[in-house]
Amino acid sequence: MNASSVVIAAQRVARWRSAPLPWLLLAALAALPLLSPSPNFVRLLFTTFLWVTTSMAWNLVGGFAGQVSFGFAVFYGMGAYTTALLMNTGVDPVPAFAASALSAALVSLVVGVPAFRLRGPYFAIATIGISEAVRVVMTNLSFTGGASGYRIVEHRPFHQLEHYYSALLLAALAFVISALIAHAKFGLGLQAIRQDEDAAADLGVNPYPYKLAVHALAAALTGVAGGVFARYAAFIHPAGVFGFHTSVHILLMPVIGGIGTVWGPVLGGFVFGIVEEEIVASFPQVHLLIYGSLLILIILFEPGGILGGLGKLFRRFRGRR
Amino acid sequence: MTLVDFTSLMVSALLLAGIYAVMSVGMTVIYGVMKIVNLAHAGFMMLGAYLALELFERFQIDPILAAFLTFPVMFLLGGAVHWVLVRRLPHADEPTLPSLLLMFGLWLVLQNLGYLIWGNTDRSIFTPRTLSVVNVGPIAISTLRLVVFIAALVCLGLLEAWLHYTWFGRSVRALIQNRYAALITGVHEDRTAGIAFGLGIGFAGLAGGLLGSLYSFDPDFGRAFLIRAFVIIVLGGLDSISGVAIGALVLALVETFSIIFVPAGYQLAISFALLALVLIVLPGGIASLLAKARRLA
Repeated sequence: MNASSVVIAAQRVARWRSAPLPWLLLAALAALPLLSPSPNFVRLLFTTFLWVTTSMAWNLVGGFAGQVSFGFAVFYGMGAYTTALLMNTGVDPVPAFAASALSAALVSLVVGVPAFRLRGPYFAIATIGISEAVRVVMTNLSFTGGASGYRIVEHRPFHQLEHYYSALLLAALAFVISALIAHAKFGLGLQAIRQDEDAAADLGVNPYPYKLAVHALAAALTGVAGGVFARYAAFIHPAGVFGFHTSVHILLMPVIGGIGTVWGPVLGGFVFGIVEEEIVASFPQVHLLIYGSLLILIILFEPGGILGGLGKLFRRFRGRR
Repeated sequence: MTLVDFTSLMVSALLLAGIYAVMSVGMTVIYGVMKIVNLAHAGFMMLGAYLALELFERFQIDPILAAFLTFPVMFLLGGAVHWVLVRRLPHADEPTLPSLLLMFGLWLVLQNLGYLIWGNTDRSIFTPRTLSVVNVGPIAISTLRLVVFIAALVCLGLLEAWLHYTWFGRSVRALIQNRYAALITGVHEDRTAGIAFGLGIGFAGLAGGLLGSLYSFDPDFGRAFLIRAFVIIVLGGLDSISGVAIGALVLALVETFSIIFVPAGYQLAISFALLALVLIVLPGGIASLLAKARRLA
């Protein structure tokens, strides 16, 4: 290890110490069950953690590397089904989650290998293609119950907090990965690719393996989230976990929060997780209409999402003083 | 497979290719001029289908004629969408993240407006023509599909003529070929792009109207066709209009003949497999293959 990398490592440690917010948030969320909240609130937080995880995962590909994916439901669903199938054969949850990560990462290659070789819209197009294709296959596949879904039988008593902590741990893991990548050479390479692929290639960043790797990583995180969800829900079906709306939700959260940042997807995930409950309850038919309009408004007027908007407000406030 | 079976499969693939070409050509025009992947194409196809249905049910207009009538309506709608939304996107030489997300948001809006207006029941346009058949020797051809095919050919012919013999058509082609050179020679980009966008949406509506008389539809209609349109334009090389015709024919042939080996439920998986194959083997589409052959010759 040479001197400069030591310096960089020391700076990184210093940055972590000077950033207490994530640790405080984690501690608060971990201590929350002490207040004995209602099971419904715990469930809301549990699903929100899963959303936050997928949101950060999407942001690795869409935000850092600038590759829009409309097919994250594929990874979510693959993870859910992998965990479900393994747990029904008697595998423990944790190895099943690991297998979910692996299977989702493998599926990510099916899109990535053909589409990432090329520039242009191919990747975005291919993600829509595979999400439809996979859902059609899963709807017709007989050994997973096809369209009627698949039930998970766990021969253990149900503890809601166990699920709560597994989701919280997963979200924390996703945050650490996302924060580390943002400042590591890998993440800088991804941002270089987003800004200008030719220039990145000139500087020795080969876009193809970078994109493949980050896509597989994001897929693995999303797959575990799907697995954790499947274990909690105990019943999954293709129209749910592989559903188009799942992909829409996963894409929407980082866009709402602030694309390409570490905190944006977290913020977006929390806002979405809590607002989603209300919106779906009050406007079951049109919630996607609301999300679609929101997407258009954000793209046209505040591409930085909530975080970008807050930053602008903050700067304006400071500028006046 | 007997010769008769083979011929009737060929005929139905050809008839399918016609409508596939109409539904993809709008995307190609929009991509070529603006380098925007119109993800909302499916939403506009759905609107076209419902528009044709309303014209048919309320005014007893023949569905094929109704599909043609949707064209001007959708053209104006497309122009308006371009004026209000698409115009504000930054210009780029390849699809950008904002353009993809914007069109995606637009698709969600259209689709769910459809749910609000028409509900989520399956609808279909049924006329005496729907089940009638023309017999050519031993081969039976659905009259409706034949009519739709002829309508599709007429549209493509008109588009081709428009692109070649009008000033606006030439400026559209100029923008597709080289944006900067086109700007230097005085092509008004915003206006041309607006017309091209309207044209693309008009073709989406027309294709939707024609598809609506072939298949039943609901507000989610069009997603499967959107993927097929992607495969076709990638096969055709994204911004080549003649490539679209070839791409449509290839996809129609693959889909039609794959029914022999694979259950019909998996057809979308076939489309995707074809897309992946093309991306690996022939990234520039068939147009690049033709260009290479021309260079060699």
